[in-house]
Amino acid sequence: MLNIRKTILMLIAITVASIALYAAPAMAHGEKSQAAYLRMRTLLWYDVEVSTVKLKVNEELVMTGKFYWFYDWPANIAKPELAFLNIGIPGPVFVRKASYINGVSGTNSTRFDIGSTYEFKVILKARRPARVHMHALMNVSEAGPLIGPGRWVEVTGDMADFTNEVTTLTGETIDLETYGLENAVKWHIFWGVIAAAWLLYWIFQGPILIPRYKKVKLLGENADDMITAGDRMVGLVMLIGTLVVVTWSYYHAHSQYPVTIPLQSGQITIPALPDAARGVNAEVVDAKYRVPGRSLEFTLKVTNNTNSPIRLGEYTAANIRWMNPEVSTAEPADSHDPVAVNGLSYEGGAVMPGETKLLKVACTDAAWETYRLAKLIYDPDSRFGGLIFFFDEEGNRSVVAIGGPLLPVFI
Amino acid sequence: MSAVHSAITTAEQQHRIYKAFDWIIIPIVVLVIIGAFHIHAMLTMGDWDFWIDWKDRRWWVTVTPISLIFFPAALHYLLWENFRLPFGATLCCAGLLIGEWANRIANFVGWAYFPLNMVVPAEIIPMALCLDAVLIISRSLSVTGILGAMLWGVIFYPANWVLIAPFHVPVEYNGVMMSVADLIGYNYVRTGTPEYIRIIEEGTLRTFGEDVTPVSAFFAGFISVFAYFIWLAMGKWFSKTTWVKRM
Repeated sequence: MLNIRKTILMLIAITVASIALYAAPAMAHGEKSQAAYLRMRTLLWYDVEVSTVKLKVNEELVMTGKFYWFYDWPANIAKPELAFLNIGIPGPVFVRKASYINGVSGTNSTRFDIGSTYEFKVILKARRPARVHMHALMNVSEAGPLIGPGRWVEVTGDMADFTNEVTTLTGETIDLETYGLENAVKWHIFWGVIAAAWLLYWIFQGPILIPRYKKVKLLGENADDMITAGDRMVGLVMLIGTLVVVTWSYYHAHSQYPVTIPLQSGQITIPALPDAARGVNAEVVDAKYRVPGRSLEFTLKVTNNTNSPIRLGEYTAANIRWMNPEVSTAEPADSHDPVAVNGLSYEGGAVMPGETKLLKVACTDAAWETYRLAKLIYDPDSRFGGLIFFFDEEGNRSVVAIGGPLLPVFI
Repeated sequence: MSAVHSAITTAEQQHRIYKAFDWIIIPIVVLVIIGAFHIHAMLTMGDWDFWIDWKDRRWWVTVTPISLIFFPAALHYLLWENFRLPFGATLCCAGLLIGEWANRIANFVGWAYFPLNMVVPAEIIPMALCLDAVLIISRSLSVTGILGAMLWGVIFYPANWVLIAPFHVPVEYNGVMMSVADLIGYNYVRTGTPEYIRIIEEGTLRTFGEDVTPVSAFFAGFISVFAYFIWLAMGKWFSKTTWVKRM
């Protein structure tokens, strides 16, 4: 016969063991789960670097890079009328000491222009030891988080050593880790004791539920007589006492902190960087995604209005880079940095100054599958996007946004 | 002769059983209130109460008293009409604060590592004491609804100013003036809570300049009066005993 107690205990043990054994740490921030079109046609990040990937508590890390708001913005995604440059980390492993967009402080939320490029810089101070996958991140109101490239960063040391001091405009130097806490706890304890006294005053009057219930039903309309004059006096004292303490505490706080301001919530607009294309025009003539070969193949019509021959060195989209090693090289920064070091090839050679030319480009790599970009062909609008990087003979770079309809090739 | 006898034969036994009943029921009621009221609070005023940089002069002041009067009003009805016990509001608010402190310490600090001063809950006991006091003095739920609920809304901000005033001291930071609370919100990275998501200092009340807080507080009190009576009715409905006639 089934022993219910044993069965319940066994089920609890199995559940606890399963949770304990399978509680794997989160390894990423779900960037692959975002739809391919979202990653390719909204915010395109490039040149993202971190100053160090290993640091101690209280040391600083600087993240820099650029982002481009794609010109062919998906109709179903809210435009960046209100956005905030953020960092994707699991809790405050770092504190954000400063952030800048085109040199302007990023403390406020910002409006951005579609089709424009901005550069950013975020200064972070390590707060607690951890090994985290840290992303550049842009929160866009009504659209959600648009995630940039990630880097594994390791913080060592002891969180107890961390301090976050700042001097107020009234001249006081405070540690934001603990500032105001003692005062808040003190007041919560004070009112908690009063509340407990009030509750215990009633609870310790003996059994209160059944006897009082019976008495209320017995007395009917006269049940109010159960409240004695003494009870009402306690209530009056409590009311007056509470109002006196609240009034005193209010004016006491005013005298302690005579200079205060409301919470700040302004929004700003930051002008974009100059056009990074530097006189190079490129548009997609046709584009196919070859499913068996995991390859994006497109024909580009390129016009070179610069004074120097240019060659195609890189295509980037969705934080993945396809490199043409004959022109530009890059290596993965860590195990989760998707760089196809030989992923880009093209026919057509250099584009001479003043020349307009067709280039046949192929971007090939398993990343199309592993990063779930191949899902693009199942989108309702089936369009792709990205940035292409041309280089002249002196290494000067022209960055051009491209995009257009995409046809799948299944055989 | 009846075959069924009462197990209680003396007044002393009866007193012991009444006491045991209290000891069983009261802890259960307290736990239910902590859980249910806490869920309600998180769903209705969550971020305003979670974060120090959401505690503004307008939305926090308005939203918190209105959403928090629901449970005290319902419990007032239950405890007053059936037991003539006038501590429903204090029981609710003390229970909520126990739940909130446990949540802030275990979750926000223990798991997510936010500093505790960033997530201290609002002080709501003074409001509850006033509501209970008006009830016991007036011995009337109607008077409590009109005077007590108004007082409940009006004193929320002054009762909390002593906690939040230090966080409204100005700081110059990277060329921008911020309050200490804004700076804490900016410094301690919240990936899912960008700056613009804060619902603070919005709306046409800004035309009142510095005097928005009294306007917000009186509005909160005014709406709390209506909310109190609506939730008295809810309390009446929930505390109704319905017997099943046939199984």
